[in-house]
Amino acid sequence: MEKIHLKIDKIKYQGVSWLIMLPGIVLFSFFVWWPLLQSVRMSLYRTVNIQLVEFIWFDNYLTIFRRTEFIQALFNTLSYTMWSILIGFLIPIFLALIIGETVKARGLVRTAAYVPNILPGLAAIILWTAVFSAGETGVLNILLSHLGFDRQSYLTEEHLVIPLIVSVATWRGAGATALIYMAGLAGINPQLYEAATIDGAGIWKRLRYVTIPGIFNLGSTLLILQIIAIFQIMFEPMLLTAGGPNNASMSLMLLMWQYAFGGGTMEFGRASAVAVIIALILLVFTALYSIVNKRKVDWE
Amino acid sequence: MKKFMRTTSVILTVVMLAMLVAACAPAADSGDTTPGNGAAAPEQTPPPETVAPPEELGDIDLAVVDPYLTATVTLGNWPPDTAPRAELALFEAYRDIMAAQFPNVTLVPNFFSYTLGTYVPMALGGTAPNLFQPHFTDPQLLISQNLVADVTSAIEEFGLMEMFMPAYVELFGDGQGRLYGLPRDGYVLGLHINIDLFEQAGLIDSDGLPMFPRTLQELAEKGQIIRETTGTAGLVFPASSTFGGWLFTNIAWNFGATGQHAITRQDADGRWYVDFTSPPMVEAMEFMRALRWEYDILHVDATTTDWARTHSILGTGEAAMNFAANDAVDNPTAVSGLAVDRFALVPFPAGPGGAYALNGGTGFMFSPDTTHDQALAILHFLRIAGFLPFITDDIIASMRAGAVALAERGAPVLPPIPAWDNQEFIATQRQVVEEFSNVDMRLFNDFFDSLTDGRVMLRAEEPMHTQRLYRELTNAIQRILTREDADVLETLESAQAEFQAFLDEEVNR
Repeated sequence: MEKIHLKIDKIKYQGVSWLIMLPGIVLFSFFVWWPLLQSVRMSLYRTVNIQLVEFIWFDNYLTIFRRTEFIQALFNTLSYTMWSILIGFLIPIFLALIIGETVKARGLVRTAAYVPNILPGLAAIILWTAVFSAGETGVLNILLSHLGFDRQSYLTEEHLVIPLIVSVATWRGAGATALIYMAGLAGINPQLYEAATIDGAGIWKRLRYVTIPGIFNLGSTLLILQIIAIFQIMFEPMLLTAGGPNNASMSLMLLMWQYAFGGGTMEFGRASAVAVIIALILLVFTALYSIVNKRKVDWE
Repeated sequence: MKKFMRTTSVILTVVMLAMLVAACAPAADSGDTTPGNGAAAPEQTPPPETVAPPEELGDIDLAVVDPYLTATVTLGNWPPDTAPRAELALFEAYRDIMAAQFPNVTLVPNFFSYTLGTYVPMALGGTAPNLFQPHFTDPQLLISQNLVADVTSAIEEFGLMEMFMPAYVELFGDGQGRLYGLPRDGYVLGLHINIDLFEQAGLIDSDGLPMFPRTLQELAEKGQIIRETTGTAGLVFPASSTFGGWLFTNIAWNFGATGQHAITRQDADGRWYVDFTSPPMVEAMEFMRALRWEYDILHVDATTTDWARTHSILGTGEAAMNFAANDAVDNPTAVSGLAVDRFALVPFPAGPGGAYALNGGTGFMFSPDTTHDQALAILHFLRIAGFLPFITDDIIASMRAGAVALAERGAPVLPPIPAWDNQEFIATQRQVVEEFSNVDMRLFNDFFDSLTDGRVMLRAEEPMHTQRLYRELTNAIQRILTREDADVLETLESAQAEFQAFLDEEVNR
């Protein structure tokens, strides 16, 4: 009898839990999972706009792998990721450390660091287009000419275009990330610094033995999230270079958009195939993130 | 101290945001300044809230024409609130006339300006305006993808069928007698000229007219003179997205990429082939290479410059020439501030293989959910606005009002390229243009005369997957313009392989 009561209680408890989750599940199913499955399905069909015309197995995948633009976009996206780690990962940490060490006008510095984040994306890109213009009216060239240097080309150079786009993305996002690091830094026990100082540790040793271990887990999590975000980079190259020159800044997401909407061919099946490939790659990164996150929770 | 800094931070943030908002706000009246000439902006006076509709529309008969036609239609390309007041007043007047003549038709203004990339998701999501205006590159694609409405019955009911030019029946039809749109106007590619820069370079003849290039070789040489004497780019060439390929096909035709060397051709077996490596194509691409690396006349931002930016570059005096058509003359002038008397439109320069000019245009098409009554209501609106080939006193009044609005916003009032087979309509359009002309026609006569005296052969765009073809060619051009050591033939072979593979997948299956 008691067992039955326990079972009823358990069912009641689980029922309430499911009821609480139900709205979320419904919304997720409708807005996330269903479109996701539809996208996978579409990638296996020949399409006329978004109508599925003929089941063609993996033809769309084979077709895009035969195209040099896809291979180039894949390598470009990996290049974006690499540059993002080089440029975009360390800057927010430095920014957080500098803001943390600032004694005067800390609020002002913090606000200034965050302002690019609240700029509308389009406005920011227009601003950077003016900065990188290769003409004599380009802001960067004006500065260089004042310093006695010759005019330079920026976004028209194949080897420069990805690092420059990553710099723009970093400029926009670094302030927000720095705030997260600042929260992490604030969580480090001040007694550790005091003890290190008493033991004779200088600023570099304190950084190495207290600060970096203190934000290591946060840093790994943010690194994975950054990789996931940069893998989906689209509107920066779209607006700054339209994927050029000669596809040198074409990312997978931008290529997907071109196949579906921008290229004048409306290849929705192939665009879906690109989307699925991006999703699969990101799935690997997400799994990595979960492992790192689990380790962090265990550690805590 | 801490409190002071906090307060200062807040104040600075607010000031920065206010400056941001102010910077993004539209100018009170952009038509009053001429940034290209470096003139000081005149003292700003607050603009009147409204402007009276053009008086030319005052005589239009406002009696009810059809009380039974009931429809609500959204009209794309409606001028936004930031548009010149004369243009806004004109469209408001058209709306008032519609409201009087068709009391049960509601017009909903929509600011959507067509691009394929934005139209497709809107059409699929059911949010596209009923009326939109695609370029001639896209109707066949939109028809094949079921993204436009069949308006054959409305066009027939309106009596427009017999005035359709055969080429446009083909362009807006499905080959089985169904029509999905109608032409607005045509364009022919030519060369836009900034006269100030020609003047500074000493390229002005004894009549005070610019000594414009008549051949592609002259274009390179005169561009070089302008570059050397003024330090400004001779030519702005938009080598981004698909624009570079679009303009390059015209250059290639003039090097001889037609007939047996045609860029795309359909063989007897029905398969489509592309030929990017013919001698004329290679010569044309070598010419592009020379413009960049030998004559050095191109504007430096070529690979990031889009179509809209080319006009502002010409209008603000950053470049002296731009390959563009008669339908874009308001961009460097009214939009970018170049005075109409400092602007000229001349024929597309000839090449060693001929003198061709791309004949394209813009049409009216209808979102897929448009009903018969909605299509009828839209056709009535287009008739009132003078876009359809009917001649009545009311329509002449509309044409006159349109010309007045054009002149008021600082755009050249020029003869249109006919889109309809109705000589009376064409003659009336020209008469109205002559009456309200605001330009020295000597700066435009060569262009318009060349279309009729045989100096220039008109040619439609390449027929198969045109935008994709333009994209491949643009990539090739970008490679040539950014790498001095790039091999032209190898670059074209690679682009050809990509596009042929695409044709084989999509068309030759």
